[in-house]
Amino acid sequence: MLCQICKKKEVAITLTKIVEEQKTEIHLCKDCAAAFSDKFSIFPLPQFDINDLLADLLNAIDLYHKEEGIVLDKEIECSNCHLTYNDFRKSGKLGCSVCYQDFRDQLTPLLRRLHGNSEHLGKIPQQSKGKFNKIRKIKQLKKELQELILKEEYEQAANTRDEILKLEGVLKKKNEK
Amino acid sequence: MKNKSIILKNLKESSAEWTSGQGPLSDIVISSRIRLARNVEGIPFSPRAEQAELKNVFELSRQIVEEDSLFRDSNLLLLDELSPLESQFLVDKHLISIYHAREKHPYRGCVFNQRETLSIMVNEEDHFRIQYLLPGLQLNNIWKLINKIDDKIEKKTTYAFSEKEGYLTSCPTNVGTGMRASVMLHLPALAMINGINDILKAISKIGYVVRGFYGEGTEVMGNLFQVSNQITLGLSEEEIIDNLEKVNQQIISKEQKVRKDLLANSKSQLEDQVWRAYGILSSARIISSTEAMELLSKLKFGVELEIITYPDLGTLNKLMLLIQPAYLQMLAGKDLDPFNRDLQRAALIRNKISG
Repeated sequence: MLCQICKKKEVAITLTKIVEEQKTEIHLCKDCAAAFSDKFSIFPLPQFDINDLLADLLNAIDLYHKEEGIVLDKEIECSNCHLTYNDFRKSGKLGCSVCYQDFRDQLTPLLRRLHGNSEHLGKIPQQSKGKFNKIRKIKQLKKELQELILKEEYEQAANTRDEILKLEGVLKKKNEK
Repeated sequence: MKNKSIILKNLKESSAEWTSGQGPLSDIVISSRIRLARNVEGIPFSPRAEQAELKNVFELSRQIVEEDSLFRDSNLLLLDELSPLESQFLVDKHLISIYHAREKHPYRGCVFNQRETLSIMVNEEDHFRIQYLLPGLQLNNIWKLINKIDDKIEKKTTYAFSEKEGYLTSCPTNVGTGMRASVMLHLPALAMINGINDILKAISKIGYVVRGFYGEGTEVMGNLFQVSNQITLGLSEEEIIDNLEKVNQQIISKEQKVRKDLLANSKSQLEDQVWRAYGILSSARIISSTEAMELLSKLKFGVELEIITYPDLGTLNKLMLLIQPAYLQMLAGKDLDPFNRDLQRAALIRNKISG
């Protein structure tokens, strides 16, 4: 819906005015609402939550689509909550944790743009600590293995490879359980 | 569990520890804060969850508060049961966000402890938004405390987490650590020489955000700035805190330098401004919140520079909350129109400052 005043921007806020049981609603964009705030300030006006971060995010999404030449002709949808990728593009909010899986191809470059990175390196929940710590360790060892091979330190590389195989074996057994 | 009116009555009379005016570098740093965004696995994020699912999340928070000794002195409020004024009062208290107060979906909650150091927003855009606040610059201490609380909550539920993206959140700007750390700074000297904008521009380029007194989307008032991290993914919590502390140290040392220069070169002018602020605040009969915040900032500056020795920093920090519209009306026990708020505000300030 477009703002009733400027008729250009999307509505960000709806003001409801009740005078002697006569209810009127005015739909305004962020800028026009700010200009109107004085006339309607019975209660401190909502501070608009269209914050810097969200604006940055939406810009990043659009820029990413433009640069990658992505046109969303087919609607991708989350298999769990049925949020479409287009919905996400408009609001900047995902619907559920499965969205991260189902939109991963689209999200990964976006996360890289937003955070300069797309892989988590912080805290791991206690419940899954063991498993994720092993996965992280394997990743790190694989990196080291490549470096060792490049440096032609084969004996060391063989040790690292064995360590990786061992850790992978432990993980596999745990998954089978 | 105590009922709503008792909880609100206590809250009206108590003051938060983070306003005490103590802690490291308290002449510039009012408070430090860390917030963690967490969601329960298998339930859509709050804005897209069904009523029954929102209820489950709320009941989970009740269970946690009732069963864990860590939350012994904590209260839980259901926002559906509060009037708009009472919800706004929680915003004025910094216990919930403006978004949380105004959002329409049911079963939004607020958990907070007696010291008001801990608060948990239940069913904000994420199921849990855990925040911890302490006075002065002490992010590392807060991380230790909030990390423990996070572990306790996790014992009662399973968090939405993926190996690749970390803690999953409604907005991708929070994903990963789900952590937003921030430091609230009082920067009157930099504001005086118009040095704020340069700093803000510089730090926004390296991944930091600056906000006003009430967080996201709010205006700067009383020369109070909240500096926080924008990046939440790809760094450990310790790195985020460490980097944020370094950025803040730099801003603090700039403020210190300008303060020193001002004292050396324009002491009389500074003294004049501080005492004028004191004069108006201790005698005005009608005062708006904008004017009050401006003058309280000047008076606070005077105390920080030891130009004036009273009131203490804690009193001034607390006043900055007390004079907010909803807080004032809660203290008066009734709705007040803007004119009567200005009267009430002036009386309150006179009382606290000369009292």
